[in-house]
Amino acid sequence: MAQLSGRLRVAADVGGTFIDFVAVDENDTIMVDKQPASADRLVQEFAAGLARLGPGEAVTHLAHGTTTAINTIVQEKGARVGLVTTKGFRDVLELGRGGRNEIYNWRFSPPPPLVPRALRLEVDERTLADGRILTAVSPEQVAAIADELAGLEVEAIAVCLLHSYANPEHELAVADVLRARLPGVSVTMSHVVAPEWREFERTSSTVLNAYVHPMFGTYLSRLTERLNTDGYRAPLAIMQSNGGVLSVPRAHSVPVRTLYSGPAGGVVASRALAESLGIEHAICADVGGTTFDVALVVDGDIVERHETRLHERPVLGATVDITSIGAGGGSVAWVDARGALKVGPESAGAKPGPACFGHGGTLATVTDAQLLLGFLDAERFLGGRMKLDVAAAEAAITKHVAEPLGLSLTEACLGIVRIAETNMANAVRAITVQRGLDPREFALITYGGGGGLFGASLAEELGVRQVVAPRAAEAFSAWGILASDYSEDLSVTRVFQLQENAVDDAVRELTNLAAAVTDGLADYGLPRDQVRLHHAADVRFAGQHHTVTVPIEAAWIGDPATLLPGVEQAFRTLHTRMYGPRTSDSVLEVVTLRVRGSVPVPRPHWPPLPEREPGPAREHRPVCLTERHGPTPVHVRDSLAVGQRVGGPAVVEEWANTVLVPAGWAAHLDEHGHLRLYSTDDATGAGR
Amino acid sequence: MTSTQSTGTDPVTREVIGSALVTTAHEMNNIIVRTAFNPLLYDTKDFAVAVLSPTGELWAEDPGLTIFIGCLPATIKTGLVKHGPEHYRAGDMFIVNDPYLTGTHISDTTVYAPVVHNGALVAFVAVTAHWADVGGRTPGGWDMTSTELYQEGLCFGHQRLVDRDEPVGDLLDLIAGNVRFPEMVRGDLDAQIAACRVGADRVAALCERYGAATVESSMDEIVRGTAETIAQQIRALPDATFTQSVEMDFDGIDPEIRPRLSVSLTVEGERIRASFEGTSGVSQGSMNCTGIGTSSSVLAAIKGLLAPTEPTNAGHLVNVDIELPESSLVNPARPAGSDAFGLVAVAISELTQLALAPLFPDTSRAGSYQLFGLYLFRIDPSAGEPFILIDPIDGGHGGHSQGHGTTAIFMGDGDTLNLPAEVMENQYPIRCLQYALAEDSAGDGSARGGYGVVRDYQVLEAGTLLKYSNENTLDVLARGAEGGGTGRPSYLVLRPGTDSEEVLLRRTNDAGVLRPNDVVRAVSGGGGGWGRPLGHD
Repeated sequence: MAQLSGRLRVAADVGGTFIDFVAVDENDTIMVDKQPASADRLVQEFAAGLARLGPGEAVTHLAHGTTTAINTIVQEKGARVGLVTTKGFRDVLELGRGGRNEIYNWRFSPPPPLVPRALRLEVDERTLADGRILTAVSPEQVAAIADELAGLEVEAIAVCLLHSYANPEHELAVADVLRARLPGVSVTMSHVVAPEWREFERTSSTVLNAYVHPMFGTYLSRLTERLNTDGYRAPLAIMQSNGGVLSVPRAHSVPVRTLYSGPAGGVVASRALAESLGIEHAICADVGGTTFDVALVVDGDIVERHETRLHERPVLGATVDITSIGAGGGSVAWVDARGALKVGPESAGAKPGPACFGHGGTLATVTDAQLLLGFLDAERFLGGRMKLDVAAAEAAITKHVAEPLGLSLTEACLGIVRIAETNMANAVRAITVQRGLDPREFALITYGGGGGLFGASLAEELGVRQVVAPRAAEAFSAWGILASDYSEDLSVTRVFQLQENAVDDAVRELTNLAAAVTDGLADYGLPRDQVRLHHAADVRFAGQHHTVTVPIEAAWIGDPATLLPGVEQAFRTLHTRMYGPRTSDSVLEVVTLRVRGSVPVPRPHWPPLPEREPGPAREHRPVCLTERHGPTPVHVRDSLAVGQRVGGPAVVEEWANTVLVPAGWAAHLDEHGHLRLYSTDDATGAGR
Repeated sequence: MTSTQSTGTDPVTREVIGSALVTTAHEMNNIIVRTAFNPLLYDTKDFAVAVLSPTGELWAEDPGLTIFIGCLPATIKTGLVKHGPEHYRAGDMFIVNDPYLTGTHISDTTVYAPVVHNGALVAFVAVTAHWADVGGRTPGGWDMTSTELYQEGLCFGHQRLVDRDEPVGDLLDLIAGNVRFPEMVRGDLDAQIAACRVGADRVAALCERYGAATVESSMDEIVRGTAETIAQQIRALPDATFTQSVEMDFDGIDPEIRPRLSVSLTVEGERIRASFEGTSGVSQGSMNCTGIGTSSSVLAAIKGLLAPTEPTNAGHLVNVDIELPESSLVNPARPAGSDAFGLVAVAISELTQLALAPLFPDTSRAGSYQLFGLYLFRIDPSAGEPFILIDPIDGGHGGHSQGHGTTAIFMGDGDTLNLPAEVMENQYPIRCLQYALAEDSAGDGSARGGYGVVRDYQVLEAGTLLKYSNENTLDVLARGAEGGGTGRPSYLVLRPGTDSEEVLLRRTNDAGVLRPNDVVRAVSGGGGGWGRPLGHD
């Protein structure tokens, strides 16, 4: 293990079973460590893992990816929430948007509301779409509601009033009364969580925030208290779903922004890696035990979305646009009623896991197929910590796939891997081609336990010619969290046509948002002059409903005469790229204005790999990459020299990761220890 | 993997090709939602997309509504009958909305493209979309009083819309001159063209990679496999006949005429037969469903009972025989009106579901509320800027063996999203005063029906007109099952709580001009209950 010295920057990524730590010292020496995690002892384990990295006072930056918010929702362990709405609208949370997305399922039913009807109360007030007040709030009425909620023993309150995105006055007034009468009960206002129109989506986001708020707050208080006791003085930075970090007080007020904290870390790390390698467009693929999570870096920027769904419940707010499908090592292969081979979405999980793990699993999984194809070494899995059971894998695949389909065992294994690969490729196609992007213009960055096993074949399927299997892939998300800037997003819904007379208003709104964002970051002690601002607008053709987010350059705001043509041109280019040319035209309309402020943190650097002699293959073992098993060289990643070429077919192993180099591909370690794979076919070969 | 053997593609390639076509259909669907100009498309999802064989058999679909399941295959087949396969060249697209060729009503306009690979016709991709207007007597269609097709609007019958990658300018011009909201219609037409172009490209790329013969034989086998499984499922059911019928509210013209709709479903071996004996003749008004639409409505209901969540292909549609009586409500002859076909189509699906429910304890439910929605609009520019708000309203679905009924959009629709009050108030001179559950609407039961909703619209400006659709208010289709109670039907209240309050049940094209500050309250029906209510044993 590397010796660290001097001041340290540290990131901790809490996962299901481990906390991954990455620490970097002043000499760019890196230390990677894992600490087992359990939900009930998280703070102690966090402190224990941290203590091993160095003395508390040496740590100058401490960033934390957390699953507390998402686990609270997934396990339905959140607070008893009361909801306060505008009169006439308390059922919006339950009614949702009314669509049946399984359209032929006559029993389709959305998940039940997180707040039952008895806990949803109404205030007789009304703000209009343009922000004018139609009916004023009565503090006496709100006081009565507070008392009623007290009687109902709520632990948190969500306040979502109509049109609060246009004017938050009433939400503020209601929250004031509730807080005064109900000390100790958390209150979330919808315009703080998401000042955007559409009351169901905003209510849902607000309720989810309230639902996780008390538990998240308790966790953060305990953690900061412990860190304080242990002598840590660096402010804790909490990773959020948009790929930036937040201060503790801010994260405490909007925990719903941390839902995708961990996966966002991997994408930030991919962006940093792509930047250091001069890659403009990257597909970021995290192949885990149960899911395949994919996101994009385009022109050096992470592709984001502004709405996600968690168990059919919408959450508004900027999030790294991650698509997750049930395709990982533990995904189960099965034959459906009409004899079609399927892989996933069900997973054997960690327990019992794939049949070859020997924990009692009997279903055929992707990992079982990869073992039988020789991709994995039964004796050396996880550095030999776990022996894999070949006979159990054979029995599972024979019974569940080979026999029902009349295939040989090898054909069945190849089929399983290929179907999993197809599912992954379809997910990548969906997110690229739907944006008018050609996956062949991307490099593929693969991480997670199964990334190296799928990288080259997935690339081949997509026509991608370059794959990167990063160094220390097992702590890749933590690395990304360490590289995440402080960032704060603000947005506001303002619907107007993009015409000369609207420019001044738009500039004013953007300037206000920018000021608010800067104030927010400065409030947490970040230097005001280091805040970088990014402006954007959600734009559409007047008449359309859905929008395209268009970046607004700072120069356009300085010179409003350029704003109109700038936005128009950017929108038309994006729209044409995504959806093709139109035969008709119409005026443009802005729906939402957005500003992100960020304060950069120092970028960690992968240190150069020490020089060493090229290492020969450790052994040859039978591996089946195409049709049959053939003796294939197996290299040990840690014994490869920088630049040492490994031609396919070959296997490159390290303790927790295996990378396949198929025929037609070659690989080498670059100077920073990233394994670079590239297609050796001529330019047309892989471009199917 | 590019072999062109005629029998037996390998199961892995088959799965790869099948899922690629489903992905293509999703992509086409997404283009419509993201780029259409018309809320009926991006919110209501009143559209469908499909990838079909060169003979018009369904390979993959991703519809917004259930009603289109059998319509797109039938539409392509009517095109092939009219033109013959050699008529379809690379880069062409065609347009059709004649209800006698498409199965629904004239507002649903289909744009489709042949996929040509190495000079051969290898597939079709198609998008049908409800246009905001097609001309005709009433804005936005749904004219319940039209007595013949010619009154309903501009009619296309497989004309060439795009000629070797060039849109036919004269035709676009003709459309622009014949519809009330030409910008919106052109925007939607652009979305349809874009979706077809992308779909055709994807299918062509798949043929390039695997060979057109492999694509076709793989899909043939997938369809055959599906059909065999469906046949097995039906064979496992006892042979029996079930009948359900309903008296509709009125025929659109004469308030005294109550057309009768009767569906008999017979399970016999591995097939299900639907017949409509006892169904009334052709309606005078437009409350008629053409034969293609009737078949499609039956097929949608049966698909949901047999295989609710799996991707649809032609194999789901082939084990059902449908007997259509000539010159009837469910099979009129051209040019009878069919603008209000949806009232009939949704009822056919509901009756089919109810009739077969005893055989499908795990996928059926009690009866549900029926088609209900309103239009608030202004046409006369002297009264203010014209607008049209089309609002299909959610309501209660039937309870079932696993729980209470849900509140969502009616059966014939699908992933239809309601209009948020905040969007409504930003875009229309209308204020939404309430959107709430109507708890007294549901049929009682051990699993109660889903609740209807109460939705109040306050008109803010002069010159605003109201029309609305409602059906099955007298002979209610939200029927209870297994001892459950019936749901209450949908209704409208004009100016509730005032001296001039008026309760409206019967659908109408013209509920008069509203005054500023008038409130229209829509109360949708609840679902039927399932099982005897607790405490009633």
